[in-house]
Amino acid sequence: MAQVIVVTSGKGGVGKTTSSAAIATGLAQRGKKTVVIDFDVGLRNLDLIMGVERRVVFDIVNVIQGEAKLQQALVKDKRVDGLAILPASQTRDKDALTREGVATIIEELSKDFDYILCDSPAGIEKGALLALYFADQAIVVTNPEVSSVRDSDRILGVLQSKSKRAEEKKEPVKQHLLLTRYDPARVERGEMLKLDDVLEILAIPLLGVIPESESVLKASNSGNPVIMDSDSTAGQAYSDAVGRFLGDDRPHRFLEAPKKPGLFGRLFGGGRAA
Amino acid sequence: MTADARPAAPPSEAFRLRASNYSLLTLRLLSARPEEVLPALGDQFRRAPGFLRFAPIAIGLDDLDGQEVDFAALVSGLRKLEILPIGVVGGPQTLRAAAAGAGLPTLRSAGQKETEIEAPAPVAAPPAAPEEAPRPAAARTLLVEQNVRAGQRIYAQGADLIVMGTVNAGAEVLADGHIHIYGTLRGRAVAGANEDPEARIFVQNFDPELVAIAGFYAVREGLQNASIGRTVAVRLEGEQLRFEPLG
Ligand SMILES: Nc1ncnc2c1ncn2[C@@H]1O[C@H](COP(=O)(O)OP(=O)(O)OP(=O)(O)O)[C@@H](O)[C@H]1O
Ligand SMILES: [Mg+2]
Repeated sequence: MAQVIVVTSGKGGVGKTTSSAAIATGLAQRGKKTVVIDFDVGLRNLDLIMGVERRVVFDIVNVIQGEAKLQQALVKDKRVDGLAILPASQTRDKDALTREGVATIIEELSKDFDYILCDSPAGIEKGALLALYFADQAIVVTNPEVSSVRDSDRILGVLQSKSKRAEEKKEPVKQHLLLTRYDPARVERGEMLKLDDVLEILAIPLLGVIPESESVLKASNSGNPVIMDSDSTAGQAYSDAVGRFLGDDRPHRFLEAPKKPGLFGRLFGGGRAA
Repeated sequence: MTADARPAAPPSEAFRLRASNYSLLTLRLLSARPEEVLPALGDQFRRAPGFLRFAPIAIGLDDLDGQEVDFAALVSGLRKLEILPIGVVGGPQTLRAAAAGAGLPTLRSAGQKETEIEAPAPVAAPPAAPEEAPRPAAARTLLVEQNVRAGQRIYAQGADLIVMGTVNAGAEVLADGHIHIYGTLRGRAVAGANEDPEARIFVQNFDPELVAIAGFYAVREGLQNASIGRTVAVRLEGEQLRFEPLG
């Protein structure tokens, strides 16, 4: 049986889609057959970040409405074996997704894949509820700021009460915290919440801390998930997170701001010519 | 330490209008006939004397299938039982109009319906429905083992409440009896929700948005910093909330 993982946050724009693309790619790189589903019907971002937008023919709504077979709608990744994307529709409205339809899709995907990642839309309304409903595990994406933490807290409550596992009184959804866009320099200046503060409020295990990094924007513009950029700090942090998810023991990195060169460094550091 | 529970308006002002939300008991009529409803209510009173005495209530009309109600008879019967109906909720327009004729305006519920209140799944006891036999406050205890998260609201009706975890900012816990919180209180805690001034709130780590006992409240701004971050017991003395460090 495949594990269903929802990538969710409550608040919008915190890095769910970036993280879904990176983690799905990372899992496939580690030999796990992985499919990532875009639940953000009407916006459709995941295929862009995964760089497959030119190969999308059918989408999840077509499958649910019986206009296409699931196998026709799945887009296989050309870079990594065993990775597939099920895109969202850009033209249909959100109500086209039904719980029964999604249940059928997940059941069918379960036969072929080890991991099914669900990239949730923002909010705690219908679309987000549907994305988390079937989850066995949840990756809660949070930025180090008060409103994002509050919304993540809400989503954790919703996972506790509105997921299928909760409704059927099964073992609760396993929760992971992914703190993204962490900028240690701004944390030190008190402009952002510290990792410890976020952990104290949300009180769930930490999967990873992804630093703020320009390579993320470059990666999404070029359609290569940032985890493929192994020179970037964000890419390395995502690799660590995937490793931890699979049980590796990896220390957390990128929690401290790089040290500014001291006086000597500045005087003799081969800097700019005067 | 005290906090002004209800700051008085400056004398130059004669009044202030404010929108407020109150928690009300709803008497959902399952019968349209006062001659059936009133004796049944009277029976429950003898079992739990004083519970509803002078309590303001709303009358719920959703379950009546539009049958006509003699509101005048109902109101005078309720008053004799020392229950004070202040309005009606739900039901068809015709019924609400009849109620308005008897001096019962239509109340709109501010937030969600009771059935939509989110509670963490493992919490076994759902809030008891108001039409169940009223119990004296704190006859039972509702135990919540996990954290109460933003957006969640837990009401221990007719009971004490014990939260073993933390009540986060944006979450709200209410009890008709006492409240004990063994983690941090960052959200709201309302004890003695059924107007019981004897109810208290005990908090391991005190950092609340709001605390209230029997309708007397203090918001964070009105709290003295001395009690923040400490283990605190809150009780009502007259009309003042008192915050006493424990341990
Ligand atoms: N670690 C990071 N460093 C810098 N920028 C980042 C990082 N993570 C995400 N971003 C940027 O934040 C923006 C939002 O990211 P993304 O689309 O992944 O968020 P989302 O949570 O999926 O948004 P939505 O709620 O709209 O679906 C993008 O512009 C992305 O490039
Ligand atoms: Mg997104």
